[in-house]
Amino acid sequence: MTAQSRSHARPGVRLAAALVLALAAAACAPERDARDARDARWFGSIRPPAANVLRFNNGTEPETTDPSVMSGQPDGMIARILFEGLTEYDPQTLLPVPGQAYRWETSADGLTYTFHLRPNLVWSDGSPLTAHDFVWSWRRVLSPSTASRAAALMYPIVNAEAFNKGTLADSTRLGLAAPDDSTFVVTLRAPTPWLLFLTSYYTFVPVPRACIEKHGARWTEPGKIVNNGAFSLVSHRQNAKYVFAKNPKYWAASEVKLDGIEAYCVDDLNTSTNLYKAGVIDWNPSGYIPSPFLPYVRGFADYTTGEFQATYFYGVNCTRPPFDDPRVRRALNMAIDREAIARDLLKGTRRAWGRLTPSGYPGYDGPPHVPFAPDSARAELARAGFPGGRGFPKFTILFNTSEDHRRIAEAVQAMWKRELNVPVELQNMEWASFQQASTTLRYDVARRSWIGDYLDPSTFLTLLTTGNGNNRSGWSDPEYDRLLRESEREVDPVKRAALLRTAEARALASSPFLPIYHYSTHELIKPYVKGIFHTALDVHPLSRVWIDRDWRQHEPIASGARR
Amino acid sequence: MIAFLVRRVLLVVPTLFVIGSLTFFLVRLAPGGPFQSEKDVPKAALEQMQRAYGLDRPLGEQYVRFLSHAAVGDFGPSYKYPQRQVRDIIAEGFAVSAELGGWALLLAVLIGVPLGVVAAVKQNRFADHAAMAFALAGVSIPNFVLGPALVLVFSLGLYWLPPALWTGPSSRVLPVLTLAAAYVAYIARLTRAGMLEVLGADFVRTARAKGLAERTVVVRHALRLGVLPVVSYLGPAAARILMGSIVVEQIFAIPGLGRQLVNAAFSRDYTLVLGIVLFYASFLLVLNLVVDVLYTRLDPRVELS
Repeated sequence: MTAQSRSHARPGVRLAAALVLALAAAACAPERDARDARDARWFGSIRPPAANVLRFNNGTEPETTDPSVMSGQPDGMIARILFEGLTEYDPQTLLPVPGQAYRWETSADGLTYTFHLRPNLVWSDGSPLTAHDFVWSWRRVLSPSTASRAAALMYPIVNAEAFNKGTLADSTRLGLAAPDDSTFVVTLRAPTPWLLFLTSYYTFVPVPRACIEKHGARWTEPGKIVNNGAFSLVSHRQNAKYVFAKNPKYWAASEVKLDGIEAYCVDDLNTSTNLYKAGVIDWNPSGYIPSPFLPYVRGFADYTTGEFQATYFYGVNCTRPPFDDPRVRRALNMAIDREAIARDLLKGTRRAWGRLTPSGYPGYDGPPHVPFAPDSARAELARAGFPGGRGFPKFTILFNTSEDHRRIAEAVQAMWKRELNVPVELQNMEWASFQQASTTLRYDVARRSWIGDYLDPSTFLTLLTTGNGNNRSGWSDPEYDRLLRESEREVDPVKRAALLRTAEARALASSPFLPIYHYSTHELIKPYVKGIFHTALDVHPLSRVWIDRDWRQHEPIASGARR
Repeated sequence: MIAFLVRRVLLVVPTLFVIGSLTFFLVRLAPGGPFQSEKDVPKAALEQMQRAYGLDRPLGEQYVRFLSHAAVGDFGPSYKYPQRQVRDIIAEGFAVSAELGGWALLLAVLIGVPLGVVAAVKQNRFADHAAMAFALAGVSIPNFVLGPALVLVFSLGLYWLPPALWTGPSSRVLPVLTLAAAYVAYIARLTRAGMLEVLGADFVRTARAKGLAERTVVVRHALRLGVLPVVSYLGPAAARILMGSIVVEQIFAIPGLGRQLVNAAFSRDYTLVLGIVLFYASFLLVLNLVVDVLYTRLDPRVELS
């Protein structure tokens, strides 16, 4: 090309360059030139949806819509939209409030719960919903042929465990009874203080017997499904979305302000956050903001955070030497600088945490946290026969493939090398291989985490009991098992909490699990969405949510003055 | 011709048999299983699920059962989504992937071929360099960069188009552009190379000597042969593009088959993996056959034998 022809090309090139720059500028400052300066406080579009519908990302495609069988967060969200149990969660505290039952009594020994159903309850097809539906539904969860993944939550009920495991065939011996159409009686084998949380849980909702007997496994398909919650299923497209419409037959239909809900199935975190910013979805639930992005979105007014009852920890394989020696595990535990991880790596988006149970259990004050004590750690290691880390075999931290897990593993690796002088390697595996390795105890140290099912420390502490399928560390302590068994029988809440606290202190001292941090929820909720709050279990009842089109008028005056 | 077709169709059967058998055993070699979960699955529930899917039977028996069912296109229910049949999942996912791919392919041909022709006709002039620079950019910018860049500008910056999902016509624009870019570029380069070769051929000189308008020479005579490399490329390209792009479907949260296959492999959904792989293989074989037949229609020198 000659110099002449190049100069001819220039105006076009310049125009193109200007265009690209303009587009880039627009991309960087989306809200800045908007007429209302307050817009910059919000992350992206703040235009409410055209219809009176809540749109949100429900994340990974749910495996099933059958509440009796399911286990998992996205599945549970769908179940809670469609069905309602005896009790319902308070949208902020998650404490049980009346649902299908309007009142209940507990016997003095804490073993018998009598629920009184609301009068004239009906299914979405108009047929009556009675206490017999509850008996049938709970029995279905426990029936071995249902293969429910969450059946163990029902084990506090008399004979439930034996019936579920197939050693008892007679379902009439279960502690479930319906003396009349509106009374449902549950008999427990031990007092279960968290039973009224369970009755809100999706595994415990009633399912439609007639519909299931008619359609079999396909009963949850749109057009077939019959439900009793605030919304009914209109359509479902796999990996795309669920569409729900208000159920006029719901007992509190007059309190339901939304006409419908659209739940999208977007598993990519970046895509989910983009959809929120562009105003395609009104709520980006916790877990769907990419973690490097958290320090940035933290500054926006529609960002909500709070403690989430889940902890992140490392499991140690207690069946493999030298990790079968509690002194070695204690040394590893005390050599982790959790504060440094939370501060420098997680930028304060999560709290450093030195025990197994998370915060916020009513009446439970856990044992003191494991300290960062490098000197004591070195002393423990020396007592175990590895002074100065000499002779310690090479071992591996195993984690499922993820950038977040890798960064933490690298930090822990560096801390163990620095403080204890032990040779640590890292290994990542994709999800299914990782699960296989951790369930079959083919690892040295593995990344773990646990989310509470209900608001009681036992949802965490039963993990470490001997033979529990979620133990996965090989740790077994008869005294720990005894303390937990005793806590199950204890009716006095104060004594019970003390028993659990002693048990947790024992576990921390033996260190089969090395706690690292306490999870938090991080979500984005558009300012016009009312009724969605941060909750400790990241559970969100949606029946009373509404879209406030005049949300600006309802803003606190102070924020208006900021202009 | 008939004999050729019969022979090719007969060859499809053993090919699919080999692919199906290999996949059947390979997918089982991967560690972990379909019912594994972060939360413990009770032993009784696990056994019940395995019984329901026949996973408790010896592997040989499972293999025979798989073959006999696959022969009639029945793969049973998915393991991960027990309430759904593999057949339905494939049908749903393919409809979406094929639509996305169809638009992208159409766009790629409609832009790529004229671009290539212009570049060939104006060889070594500005139009040629511009077109080839564009093509080079299209080939070199990966779709996982192009997609988010388009989203950044048109969705998050200008608020013109939705950043993802598969809902209305406007949601088609960005994924189709992202998917088409690389194909536009490749087709333009193929067309240019093919046209350059043909434009120097004797029959083109003859056509010009007869005094035909340059436009007629290029469009009516040269293009027909010059586009042949594109046709042979289109067969496998169509198979790939219609089956779904994993990356584009992931970025734009599109419920296509590509995303299904990846998720199925990760969750060890044996039936779904097998179903999609066999569907993909048969689709590829059929398209290759179609391309071979099409070739004879375009180039009189090629004969099927």
